[in-house]
Amino acid sequence: MLDADLLIRYNYDSFVPEKFEPWMRFDESPPLGQPAPDFSLTRLDGTTTRLSEIWSAHLYTIVEFGSFT
Amino acid sequence: MNALAERVAAQGVGSIFLYTNEAHPGENYPHHTSMEQKLRHAQALRDVLKVTRPILIDALDGACHRAYGSMPNMTWIFNRSGFPIYKSDWTDTRSVANAIDYFLDVVERRRNQERLAPFRVERLDYRIQDQEAFYRGLARNGPKAVEEFRQAFG
Repeated sequence: MLDADLLIRYNYDSFVPEKFEPWMRFDESPPLGQPAPDFSLTRLDGTTTRLSEIWSAHLYTIVEFGSFT
Repeated sequence: MNALAERVAAQGVGSIFLYTNEAHPGENYPHHTSMEQKLRHAQALRDVLKVTRPILIDALDGACHRAYGSMPNMTWIFNRSGFPIYKSDWTDTRSVANAIDYFLDVVERRRNQERLAPFRVERLDYRIQDQEAFYRGLARNGPKAVEEFRQAFG
C-alpha cells in the first residue's frame, strides 16, 4: 500500500530547500559491514528483481543511485 | 562510471545504475507521478546519458533510495553477502575505482594466504566540480530546473 503523502513528498515537484533538504539523510544510512536492507527493483523491461539478487551474483557490486541530474 | 564497470566486470564486479526520483524536476523530466512514467524516464536516461550499465528502477515511493540515505547521486559497493563495504554521498569515479581496486586486491591477498580482518575507515575524498556541465544537465531537464537551482544556490 503506497502512502499518498509520502509519494508527494518524495517525488517533490520543485527543487526548493523545504522539499529536498528533508531527504538528505546520508548520516542515517545503513552502516558498513552489516547486512544491508534488501528491496524489490524494476528492470527497464518492466520485470522485477531484488537488490539481493544483484549483489549475490557478483564478487562485488557497485550501485550508483541517480537521476537525470 | 561506465568505463569503470567495463574495466572490472571480468574480475567479478557487477555494476548497476539505480534510478531514483528526479532531483531537479523540470519541464522535460518532471517529478514522478506513476511507475509507468518513472520507467519511461529511466529508458530515456539510458539513451540520453548513454548509460551502458544495467538500469534498475526503485519503487515510486523510493523505498530503496530512502533506506540508503536518499542522496541524489550516491555510490555504494556491496560484497556477495550483501554487506555494504563502501558508501559515498556523491559519486566520483576515481573514488569508486580506488575503492574497488583495493577490494579486488584484498581478494588477491587472501588467495596468497594473507590473514586479513576488516576494520572501519573514514576518508574525505574530492570530486571535480564542473558547474558548466552541471548547468547543462539542469537545462536538459528544463528552464524550471535551472531557475530553481539558481534560486537555491545562486
